[in-house]
Amino acid sequence: MQRMVIQRIWIGLATLWVVSVMVFIMTAALPGDVAAIVLGQSATPESLAAYRAERGLDQPLVFQYFGWLGSLMTGDLGISKAGGATISSLIAGRLYNTMLLAAIVAVISVPVSVMLGLLAAMYPGTWIDRVLTFGTLSLISVPEFFIATFMVLILAVKLQWLPAIANISGDETYLELLRGLAMPLITLIIVVAAQMIRMTRAGILNVMNSPYIEMAILKGVRRNRIILRHAFFNTIGPIVNVIALNLAYLVSGVVIVETIFAYPGLAKLMIDGVQTRDLPLVQACAMIFCGTYVVLIILADVAAILANPRLRNPK
Amino acid sequence: MTKSKDNLPTIDNVSVEDRVTIETGLRRGATRREVMSWLVASGATIAVAGSIVTSAKKALAATPKKGGKLKFASDLHGPSDTLDPGLNTSTIDYTRSRSMYNSLCQINDDLSTRPELAEEYSSNESVTEWTFKLRKNVKFHDGSNFTADDVLYTMSRHYGDKSTSTAKPLVADVKEWKKVDSHTVKAIMSSPNADLPVILGTPQFKILKDGTTDFQKSVGTGPFVTTEFKPGQRSLHKRNDHYWRDGANVEEIEIFAITDKVARTSALLSGDIDLMQALDPKAIRQIESTDGVGIWSVASGAYFGICAMTHTSPGNNPDFVKALQYIQRREKIVKSVLKGQGTVGNDHPINIAYGADHCQELPQRTHDLDKAKFHLKKSGITSAELNVAEVGPGMTDICLLAQREAQKIGLDLQVKKVPNDGYWGAIWMKTPLNVVTWNMRPTANVMINLAFAPDAPWNDTLWNSKRLGKLLVESRGVTDLAKRHEMYCEMQRLISVGSDEFPPSGMVIPAHRNYLDAKSDKIEGIGRMPLGSLGGYEWPEFAWRTDA
Repeated sequence: MQRMVIQRIWIGLATLWVVSVMVFIMTAALPGDVAAIVLGQSATPESLAAYRAERGLDQPLVFQYFGWLGSLMTGDLGISKAGGATISSLIAGRLYNTMLLAAIVAVISVPVSVMLGLLAAMYPGTWIDRVLTFGTLSLISVPEFFIATFMVLILAVKLQWLPAIANISGDETYLELLRGLAMPLITLIIVVAAQMIRMTRAGILNVMNSPYIEMAILKGVRRNRIILRHAFFNTIGPIVNVIALNLAYLVSGVVIVETIFAYPGLAKLMIDGVQTRDLPLVQACAMIFCGTYVVLIILADVAAILANPRLRNPK
Repeated sequence: MTKSKDNLPTIDNVSVEDRVTIETGLRRGATRREVMSWLVASGATIAVAGSIVTSAKKALAATPKKGGKLKFASDLHGPSDTLDPGLNTSTIDYTRSRSMYNSLCQINDDLSTRPELAEEYSSNESVTEWTFKLRKNVKFHDGSNFTADDVLYTMSRHYGDKSTSTAKPLVADVKEWKKVDSHTVKAIMSSPNADLPVILGTPQFKILKDGTTDFQKSVGTGPFVTTEFKPGQRSLHKRNDHYWRDGANVEEIEIFAITDKVARTSALLSGDIDLMQALDPKAIRQIESTDGVGIWSVASGAYFGICAMTHTSPGNNPDFVKALQYIQRREKIVKSVLKGQGTVGNDHPINIAYGADHCQELPQRTHDLDKAKFHLKKSGITSAELNVAEVGPGMTDICLLAQREAQKIGLDLQVKKVPNDGYWGAIWMKTPLNVVTWNMRPTANVMINLAFAPDAPWNDTLWNSKRLGKLLVESRGVTDLAKRHEMYCEMQRLISVGSDEFPPSGMVIPAHRNYLDAKSDKIEGIGRMPLGSLGGYEWPEFAWRTDA
């Protein structure tokens, strides 16, 4: 068991390293550099050269990579090529905001969707199941920017109940924070919950076809008990993985929601970084996102192993 | 219910010249009846005239109220946001700098200047030496006194190989900044320049404290003290209570950006922000039909251009360029693409917003397919590829319109859409046919010098007119207004029409766009200086809330 976890951590670290090389190469391959972007239309050859020399952009790429990797190991994320501020200071607040949003969404959506998924699986074919299936399928097919924009139009512009933007700064009261976060939260909960409900339902119904469930049915066990005692624990593996992927999405992939609500999160920062060719910033964000995925997937694996003795003792 | 929602025009809707006439008239004591009769005489209905006069009187009568908070959303921000004026390149930067610093001279709505940190300034006869007498009793936010050393330090940042200033070329003709005494500085020119005060009023020349290298702190003399600055997130500016003149009206300004234009408009409509930069022309109707908000549109010299590079085919063929100019449906572009928020262009950059330097004598080029066909035939060119990025709102539509007109004269104009990302480095000035947008510059001379001078690094079409170069330099030393106008007229003719010996610049400039922004009706005191968004970023010191 311990060995398996350690093995997974090593695989995770290797993944991170491969990603670091890829991120570095790909960001370097982007056309135009930070000097050209920052100085924009008003760049002259001299001002470009001065800008590059000032920020060490004229050194060979390999040097830049190992320098970066070295300082990354020591926790130093470097200095933003664009603004001159340290990247950790740029990221800190943003990471907190992103985690805050992700955490609230997770706390609400995970239990609710697992329960709703179970409910749908317990009574397949009934009106509960149909309503849930219809609802989740419709919501999965509607893009999140549509949900978000539509809500802004109704709740902020027409009814003026909620603010149209969520540019939180850290010094608002809990009530203001809640009002500001309401719409991004609803949007994200809708998006991730729909998927998790579907997956829970499908996972359980899939297990319901296996021979040991048939055995339990023949033994005369009640259907609800079968689902909660036998089927659910065998489905935890796939469900936890879907949850992990959705949580990782909440950290890295919510850029649309962040843009529409002007929410100062990490994904938005990365896009800004790409626009200004601020490579160290893009790299740092990419590594954080990749790290989040790796950690969450390792946790999901461990949870799956704990829930399923068969995985603990492989043949 | 505000008057503007009756869909009658207000003083904000009339042309620049008409507005000046009306406002001056009212200020000088003309009665409502008199002003209305002028308007009716020039073709307005009674209702329209009444609405205009009412709104004009209201605007004049209002006295600013103190207090309140103002939220401004720009369209772009990011980690590269900076409070270093020398590196400022975006509206959000300029606005922050305007609230935190002062300039030596301040630019008026008509592009003349008035004293700011320099209480007096004058040049010698030949305009080779400018003397600036600095205001005393001005203090920086940290309490230190403002002196000539601060000016010298600020200016030194715009010179030398190590300078990353984006406005370096603008002051290249100042040979030396000299301290005369603690509150007097002299600019010794290498060549005459009558426009120096206007140039010093532009954003990059905000006055810093001597020795400033850390721009995270608030180190200006300006009407607001920056209390929080998070690049790409937001900044807060508190009213400076020790300001050297009247001072700001609002207590606090919050500046940030909402990059999504729909989201930005929604935020204004829902009342979450008070001022927004860069309104999508498509949203004009939505804004105008909603109570409590309105558009803020200021005619400016900012322009859209199609650049035909003059060193290569097809741009090196003047007949091809002429064909391209004659197929432009200028009126339609202003009406449909810019939704009325612009003025027609005459294939040179100096429109009416530049005031006296605009050449009204130059005939306006119109849509003329016969002439276009004639020139195209003469050029022998039948197809061309135009690289288009949406460098300004409407650029692509302008090119698509040109493509349709080109078909009518037998020109296969392929419009190739390219991403904005990396456009300035890879496409602009590199491909034979491309597009450009320029913001208005403080003077006609600076504008032409930046984009048309023979040695200009940003000469859009690599056009080389020695004559224009000579006129540019000579006109800077001319103080006689009639002679100056004549010289500027010749420059505009050279760019647009060319001369007998030299072809024109290869620029097609079908339209100038207004700065189109929007604001809550609760905010007053936004100016009309045409050099940038929301009255040339000048508003922080003067804006006020009607509900304060």
